[in-house]
Amino acid sequence: MNLPEKTHQGWHDLVTGRKVSALKSLAVRMLLGRLTLSVQEDSSPENIAASIDQLYEVFAKNAHTPSIQEDLKTIFG
Amino acid sequence: MRQHFMSIADASAIIEEGRTLILAGDESALRQMPQGDWIGGTIPYFITDEHGGVSTREKVFVTDLTGVVTGAKIAFYDQSNLSRVYAEGPQHGFSFIIIPASNMTHLFFALKAPSFKEFGVRPLIGWIAGVHLDDLGKKTPKVFNGQTGEAFEEGALVLQAELPANKVAEIGIMNLFEQGDGDTLVFPADGFVVKSVLVNGEKMNLAAYLLDKKLDTRLPLVADYSGARVNISFQAINEADGTVQFYAPVFSGVRYKHAKPVGDYIQGFEQRLKKECSLEADRVVFSCNCILNYLYSELEGKKTDPFTGPMTFGEIAYQLLNQTLVYLQVHEV
Repeated sequence: MNLPEKTHQGWHDLVTGRKVSALKSLAVRMLLGRLTLSVQEDSSPENIAASIDQLYEVFAKNAHTPSIQEDLKTIFG
Repeated sequence: MRQHFMSIADASAIIEEGRTLILAGDESALRQMPQGDWIGGTIPYFITDEHGGVSTREKVFVTDLTGVVTGAKIAFYDQSNLSRVYAEGPQHGFSFIIIPASNMTHLFFALKAPSFKEFGVRPLIGWIAGVHLDDLGKKTPKVFNGQTGEAFEEGALVLQAELPANKVAEIGIMNLFEQGDGDTLVFPADGFVVKSVLVNGEKMNLAAYLLDKKLDTRLPLVADYSGARVNISFQAINEADGTVQFYAPVFSGVRYKHAKPVGDYIQGFEQRLKKECSLEADRVVFSCNCILNYLYSELEGKKTDPFTGPMTFGEIAYQLLNQTLVYLQVHEV
């Protein structure tokens, strides 16, 4: 599955904690756990955008990893 | 599995064949190894496929990366450059880190790693070197650079391993501990040593709270990171000054709960393995587990198939973990 653009609502829902998914990738879970906490403390558009950038980078650089592929399907269908 | 429990002579022989290795063993054993393409860390506790849990100074645990990786470089890090450990990882591969317990680099990594640039972008796995428990306070944990023959008490060694284009590295954990149904603990600051805590929003002294509740401190605090359970293990309660010391830092704002008891570790391990891990043993390149699991769950002589490896003073799967089995798989894609 291809990586959706950073503007996709799915990224926003993930880092704001609006959508909670059962994810497989350990890297994603560890990072997301911190990002959602950070966004709870500072929900400015800048912090949300920076959080999406960080999360997107993990997916982009590990696009062929089996757990990342599964997580993409879980998040974006 | 590419992990082998070996005599010093056998390990020396495969080093001299030019193989790319990660070693775990007592300092006395590692000091006998010839120079070659290896890094190592001190620890004399292991889970082996033949004998289960074993403590020995006479053998070493060898992870053989030859044939898995296409190239490997050894890099030294300390507080001055550790923040680049993720960003400097191989573009296509993984980094393997060993840090001696309780040195400044260990403390710095534990506290700051999640804020380092490109955290999570490239796989970082490894462990914290230790000593035989009889040697606590007498000897120091060390890491060894096999290429130079140097040993370090301070700093960290990283083996930066490149993979072929058709393979990817993936890190997993197996944690038997789950959050219990009790109070929610939130800490006001990051740290290994803690005095105050918010218990369900009410400020309390943590030491007094633990003693009053008679909580079993062999069970860790557990945080939930988007479904990944991360443990913080108790080291000591100091009644005199009202502090509690942990083996890994707590982080401010994170919601922790005291773990549910685990009955029989091996039984729980096998159930968890079936439930959570869909892995093939030949894809597992490395695994290690925690010395506290070895001690508290009395793993001497017990097996945790398909996982073997050193029983360490801390496990690293992107960040420092406690009381957790970590493993590295290499998949063909």
